[in-house]
Amino acid sequence: MKDIFFPKRMWRPRPELKRSYEVVIVGGGSHGLATAYYLAKRHGIRDVCILEKSYIGSGASGRNTTIIRSNYRTPEGAAFYGESVRLYEKLSSELNFNLMFSQHGHLTLAHSDRAMITMQERAEVNKLLGINSSVIGVDRISELCPPLDLTDRPAYPIMGALYHPPGGIIRHDAVVWGFARAADWFGVEIHPNTEVTGFERSGDRVTAVETTRGRVECGQVVSATAGWSSLVGGLAGVRLPITTHILQAFVTEPVKPFLDVVIVSSQLHVYVSQTDRGEFLIGAEIEPYTTYKSTGTLSFLEVSAAHAIDLFPQLERTRVLRTWTGLCDLSPDYSPILGKTEIDNFHVSTGWGTYGFKAAPIVGVTLAELVATGKTPDLIAPFALDRFHTDTLVSELAAAAVSH
Amino acid sequence: MRLEPRSGERIDRSKPVSFSFAGWKVAGFEGDTLGSAAFAAGKRVFSRSFKYHRPRGLLCCSGHCPNCLMTVDGVPNVRVCTEPIREGAVVEGQNVRWSLDFDFMSVTDKVGGPFTPVGFYYRTFIRPRRLWPFYEKFLRSAAGLGELDEHAGYSRRYDTEHRKARVLVVGGGPAGRAAALAAAASGDGVVLVDEDASLNGMQLDGVEVLAPARALGIWEGGLVPVDAGTVLYRFRAARIIVATGAIEQPLVFPGNDLIGVMLPGGVRRLVNDFSIKPGNRAIVVAADDEGFEVADDLSEAGVAVPRVIDLRETRPRELVAQGGKGRVRRLVVDGESFDCDLLVASGGRQPAYSLLAQAGARIEFDSELGVFVPTELPSGVEAVGSVTGDGLGKVDPEPAYGGKGKCFVCVCEDVTTKDMKRAIAEGFDSIELAKRYTTTTMGPCQGKLCHLPSIRLYSKETRVYEAAIGTTTARPPWAPVELGLLAGRELTPARRTSMHWSHAEAGATIQWAGPWKRPYAYGEKPEDEVRAVHESLGVIDVSTLGKLFVEGPEAVALLERLYPNRFGDMKSGRIRYGVLTSDAGRIMDDGTIARLADDLYYVTTTSTGADAVTAWFEWWNAVWGYEAEIVNVTGAIAAVNLAGPQSRDALQRLTEADVSAEAFKYLDAQEIDVAGVPTLALRIGFVGELGYELHFPSPAGEYLWGQLVAEGARPFGLEPQRILRLEKGHVIVGQDTDSESNLYSAGMSWLPKLDKDDFVGKYALEHFAEREEKERLVGFTMEEDVLPAEGAQIVVEGFPAGRVTSARRSEAVGSVIGLAWVPTDRAKNGTRVEIRVDRLLRGARVTHGAFFDSAGQRMRS
Repeated sequence: MKDIFFPKRMWRPRPELKRSYEVVIVGGGSHGLATAYYLAKRHGIRDVCILEKSYIGSGASGRNTTIIRSNYRTPEGAAFYGESVRLYEKLSSELNFNLMFSQHGHLTLAHSDRAMITMQERAEVNKLLGINSSVIGVDRISELCPPLDLTDRPAYPIMGALYHPPGGIIRHDAVVWGFARAADWFGVEIHPNTEVTGFERSGDRVTAVETTRGRVECGQVVSATAGWSSLVGGLAGVRLPITTHILQAFVTEPVKPFLDVVIVSSQLHVYVSQTDRGEFLIGAEIEPYTTYKSTGTLSFLEVSAAHAIDLFPQLERTRVLRTWTGLCDLSPDYSPILGKTEIDNFHVSTGWGTYGFKAAPIVGVTLAELVATGKTPDLIAPFALDRFHTDTLVSELAAAAVSH
Repeated sequence: MRLEPRSGERIDRSKPVSFSFAGWKVAGFEGDTLGSAAFAAGKRVFSRSFKYHRPRGLLCCSGHCPNCLMTVDGVPNVRVCTEPIREGAVVEGQNVRWSLDFDFMSVTDKVGGPFTPVGFYYRTFIRPRRLWPFYEKFLRSAAGLGELDEHAGYSRRYDTEHRKARVLVVGGGPAGRAAALAAAASGDGVVLVDEDASLNGMQLDGVEVLAPARALGIWEGGLVPVDAGTVLYRFRAARIIVATGAIEQPLVFPGNDLIGVMLPGGVRRLVNDFSIKPGNRAIVVAADDEGFEVADDLSEAGVAVPRVIDLRETRPRELVAQGGKGRVRRLVVDGESFDCDLLVASGGRQPAYSLLAQAGARIEFDSELGVFVPTELPSGVEAVGSVTGDGLGKVDPEPAYGGKGKCFVCVCEDVTTKDMKRAIAEGFDSIELAKRYTTTTMGPCQGKLCHLPSIRLYSKETRVYEAAIGTTTARPPWAPVELGLLAGRELTPARRTSMHWSHAEAGATIQWAGPWKRPYAYGEKPEDEVRAVHESLGVIDVSTLGKLFVEGPEAVALLERLYPNRFGDMKSGRIRYGVLTSDAGRIMDDGTIARLADDLYYVTTTSTGADAVTAWFEWWNAVWGYEAEIVNVTGAIAAVNLAGPQSRDALQRLTEADVSAEAFKYLDAQEIDVAGVPTLALRIGFVGELGYELHFPSPAGEYLWGQLVAEGARPFGLEPQRILRLEKGHVIVGQDTDSESNLYSAGMSWLPKLDKDDFVGKYALEHFAEREEKERLVGFTMEEDVLPAEGAQIVVEGFPAGRVTSARRSEAVGSVIGLAWVPTDRAKNGTRVEIRVDRLLRGARVTHGAFFDSAGQRMRS
């Protein structure tokens, strides 16, 4: 509170690169910064630097649609994200930075019998794992979200929903800045505008990282670079089963808040929330083709607008203010790839698809533990890269490969 | 106050129009905008600012700035300065408590300052956590601009129109018009679009002029959507000529948001277009030539202009606008005071490069001009006029002038110079970070009026040249666009089969099944319909099945490579079940494949999979280049399943063909006439009884349905069908399988023929064939009469270990049966598993094979 009256620097100005660091983290997004923070805080490892090719939070951390939830389908996923939500709930206070986490609830709509079964399945898994999640009918939906069009006028009328009260939205930039400030406070060095250009290897180890600002030696490396992770992995000689796609979103001009809950429809490939500034924030499913070119498409806008109006006809004359795209690193089973690789001291956080931001704190906690102790925490064991060799996948995709 | 009639004015004084403005009746003329008429009537306060609720008046009069955002006839955030006047319109202020002239929330402007610096919400309301929801409620009530009518919607009809042009010119200024005329000289197909309504009806030789019509961006492949109100034109043009001009930039000085501080262009519009005298005493401060032309217009209109300050000649240190009640009264320049009621201030013009940036041009700072200009235009896109920087003089105003009072960099978001400086001091020392922290450029103008000033200020404060800072990324669209317009007209009709109205007449309960409307059941008791199928005769409408013809000399090669099972050895007139697998060997879809001739196959898919399977077939056929054609005939062909022990006799009564057990065997396909309708009859048994799937031309739907019912077939719906197929243990792809299911784990290891040549998913299936699956799809029988929900969990030691995908009560079996995924070590026949039903664990036995008629004698009979 007192820094309201006395402005204080959030973090130190970018320092010179040292010759070596105990841990080098590639990527200054929510995952990299959280990992640095927990390394310093929980394990006392402070000789850490973060290499960011642009500004902190410039990638997926600053481009997502800020939805936090844990009502996942697989037991592995639900347990993991459940822990993440618990960490997020305490995070504003822990970082002394208001992340504006509003847990007004999250509704995943079902527009078909088939979707109702999937919702039921998710609710059952969630309940067994202590996650607040249940299937509700149209009456309850209308209480929670009166503006939603629950008539049978739309092409895909709403039949029910999976209701997840702890779900909500958060201020995504604040998460980045909060972690950055806290990590910096512990002595972690943050290096924006510092791009990794290569890795020096000696046998099964990375010995140094080459950057646009020179070379640094490293004890261990964590790569948390989302859409670019297969490229960074490639520099180290690690092949990742990742395809990179764009995900698009847009906001409307601000109007007085009238939607508190988050509304998601996987049938319509659209999710809608209203920010604390009053903008409607609307996102879609990832584009099916692979690309690093982050230009959006008009068809995305047209389709998303149509689907948003299907849900909220009141938005008909609300105006789209800006659109943007972000890169998504997609794994074959829609679950993340987290932890060790075939290179002893090169760890990854990738394969998040559209779920990465929700996991930032728990990724930080678990990766920090892995780096500090050398042991993979149980919570992330199912997400090992190795599962693609053993084909023990963790499927977060509820429907079959053809969309039903 | 209106001036005497002038030449070139846009208003028609013979046609008065009146409307209500913030509760006052206001009169204007046709040709006015709501804003100009209100201004002429003496209205000066149009809005309250986003954060401090300061009164704001007209600034740009060109639809860019946020100052005239008002609610018109219930639609929030309308820019009244460009919204055409209309009789009886109701224009209201928004985001005010009480009224535009007296807003309680403006207390934040008086006392809130020290408590609400930039980013204050990140620093406050943190503890105690449980109070945050209450704080948030307060913050949210203060947020937003206009209020949305919860009952609005479906108010207008929107259309989308696809247009082609040889040359599309965006912008109807001098450069745009010249470019259009030059292009028209060498042929037709030239279209010019401009967002300004005054260009409506403009005559240009050989050029089609669309106005008001706003190009929203240049999207993929040179696609230019043009917003024409209720029509969205999707333009494709061989040449796109961008002539979007340049946008006047505000000067940054204390008091620069006072009412009466305006941009030159806005003032000139009021005078020249609407014949309004905008004030009595005006001071002009400008940084480029364009800015001074307004002085002549003002003099001509009878406005005293006692002082014109050219910022290229004099470089004041202090520049402060002072006033009372939110209106400008004087300008103080380095201590010298000039009274005025209109202060025309301009910081030069910034090329409106957004469309070019989106198309892929590079934007760089031109230090000669002091503005950002586009370079390296992509092919097919040209730029002419001031958008390129042409004709712009060097501008170099102070990024911010000193003096006392709030000094706004971004009027949309109420970001002051103090906020920017503080953000930089706090470490947000990249322009992108500063943007996100202060929210400068993120408001309704999207940087049109604040991007350049923000960068100028940022450059000064951080001592980094503008060229090195660069721009923040331009985000399309160029101007806000209605969701309804983007959505276009609703084109997702409900699908009904050709027999639909027969079902409705028979009293069926209709349910949605994907895009289809289908009968759930025909009576209160689906089990009665099940019994009819088991004991006598039933008929179900299965027209929703996907249906494809695959034809050609290489049709067989195509199918062999798409499916894991074999078709080459199949004789004409035979049917085989097929499952499509993805590259990763996962189950995608299933259906039957009937060989009708050597080079002709009839393929059915699941009801929901038709389009995806067609796309999948076409995709691979394009890759492999087989001589085979794929035709999706789902809508053209209707289908029913006639099932039950009496189905053979019933069919025989309706056809002259021999359908005896010997002549028409299980898995035979025959083209026969049924009640005079040419029909492809497939003898298959999804519901487990003797049965025929009859495929025939859709127009005969109701007729043939009626014939079958007249023969004694009892209609049955989806629900009875689900029970019947479950009794047989038949899998529904997408319900019982998911994106990870494969043929081995789903219990269909007999299906793939791994000795075949390559096919989609073969590599993965070879791997599956050798490994132990983690889980398996099995049948189960409940020990008690409880029905688990579909989606219920198999619980092992308190942990979710598997899931129920289908469950029904079966009269024929005498218990509750279902399908479930269970861990492999619990998949053996007879193993007991526990299923969580309504918080209790209930026992069930794994049951292999069909629950009913496991030998399949009934359907083969």
